[in-house]
Amino acid sequence: MKELISTVKEVKLIADNVYSLTVTLPEPVGKVRGGQFLNISTGDSSRLLKRPLGIVKAEGCFVTVCFQVKGEGTKALAEARTGDKLSVLLPLGNGFILPESAKNIVVIGGGVGIFPLVPVICGNGDKNFYTYIGFRNKGCACLLDEFEKSAKLTIVTDDGSMGERDNAVNAYLKDRENVKADLIIACGPPVMLRALKTQLKEKGIDTPCLVSLEERMGCGIGACLVCVCDKSDGTKARVCKDGPVFNIDEVEL
Amino acid sequence: MAKLGVEICGVSFKNPVIAASGTYGFGREFDEVYDISAIGGISTKGMTLLPRNGNPVPRIAEAHGVILNAVGLQNPGVEHFIAEDLSFLKEKGVAVIANVAGSTLEDYGKMCARLDGLVDMVELNISCPNVRAGGMALGIKPENIEEVTALSKSNLKKTPLIVKLSPNVESIPTNAKAAERGGADCISLVNTFTGMVIDLEKRRPIIANNTGGVSGAGIKPIALRMVYEASHAVNIPVIGMGGIMTGRDALEFMMAGAKAVQVGTANFADVNAMPRIIAEMNDWLDAHGVRDVNDIVDTLKLN
Repeated sequence: MKELISTVKEVKLIADNVYSLTVTLPEPVGKVRGGQFLNISTGDSSRLLKRPLGIVKAEGCFVTVCFQVKGEGTKALAEARTGDKLSVLLPLGNGFILPESAKNIVVIGGGVGIFPLVPVICGNGDKNFYTYIGFRNKGCACLLDEFEKSAKLTIVTDDGSMGERDNAVNAYLKDRENVKADLIIACGPPVMLRALKTQLKEKGIDTPCLVSLEERMGCGIGACLVCVCDKSDGTKARVCKDGPVFNIDEVEL
Repeated sequence: MAKLGVEICGVSFKNPVIAASGTYGFGREFDEVYDISAIGGISTKGMTLLPRNGNPVPRIAEAHGVILNAVGLQNPGVEHFIAEDLSFLKEKGVAVIANVAGSTLEDYGKMCARLDGLVDMVELNISCPNVRAGGMALGIKPENIEEVTALSKSNLKKTPLIVKLSPNVESIPTNAKAAERGGADCISLVNTFTGMVIDLEKRRPIIANNTGGVSGAGIKPIALRMVYEASHAVNIPVIGMGGIMTGRDALEFMMAGAKAVQVGTANFADVNAMPRIIAEMNDWLDAHGVRDVNDIVDTLKLN
């Protein structure tokens, strides 16, 4: 993990209020595991905190992240211009560690939670991904080309404007007889992850499941204990350092 | 290359830049980024007698030039620190300041007795709400500050005692003097200012605890004034902090009377903040022909 001064290459609107940001690093990024994230300064010096964003693509000296504009910090990032210098700290967190034995992997993503799932699908060509992603509506859908690399892709929306009117967890559950999954990986809003945990338990599905969590962060490297989550054993875990990917059984959602 | 070493209460620091409690853990995570031997010292994550789980999330928010935090003293307890982290920090050759917080007055005494002779200095965090003080922080009223300082000091035979002052008080000079009367060997300030950030759409504070401690660049002018006031109210050394982001900021605190400084929030904005600040201090001293950083201390000329 290291801090580098990156140069903005391109900022692109890819869906309603959602942007993709590609930066150039002064040196190759090295090996990045899907699910790892980076911390990036917003370019607004009155904002002291960097923004933790899931890495969507890391190739040579180029790194791409995607984000939804939520507040002043992400707004400043969306307004970054080609050539702007932004400080980045990367790669951070554990990412999705896929067991060698897991060949058939179910991917469940909701909204902007789909971003960290992209490099998992794109970076593991030897595995079969059965992907179920859900968006609020057609206008929120993005990165579909990347998800097309899945062996099977199901897209649903809350309002039925694209694919069936459903959510990603349900879409998988309806289809699960057709998929012999060795592993489930998921990222999305807390309500989606909670529903997934409940449904897996209620339906007695014992397929191992990894989830990536989101939390407001401070240092991003595990020192400040700001971004904690509750573990099932009553202790706390640091989302930035011990996660952001956890076994669904080991965390309270 | 200017001389950067400082000595406080007989403890040597290779430079006057100390990691502020709560922003640097016990040093291990930052040591993965750079060799933390480079910094002068570390004030550990605030420790309690028994492990604590801290507050619910979100624990952090941001406003113009500042951040707010309400971690709630999540920590593994003082015994865990002694068993697992102390030797790592000692091997790194940084001055080790154990930051301690009590749920009761007695806790402070017990922790000081346990840490006496094991660490280089003990720093009292007296800003957390305390049962004995009627739920109010022990660090608000001068009589409470004097009492907790005296009790802590009586349990420290070998290790010098720092009392970290809260800025959320009526008078900094009065409280600084109370700590000195209680037997403090050193004072550090400022702790964070209590504040609030609101999510207008949700009509709720962003931080789960509703309020949090404000720190970062935006508090620097207030902190500087308070450090100046404290260092001119007492005869014991003062360690200054509050919004230090650059070497120039650090030198301003020393000019105002601080013998050393602590750096906290800057570590979030820039993971390499502390080595950078040390280098920037040296550059300024060299550029101004100052051979020893100690020569800057308390040289502020008032208008």
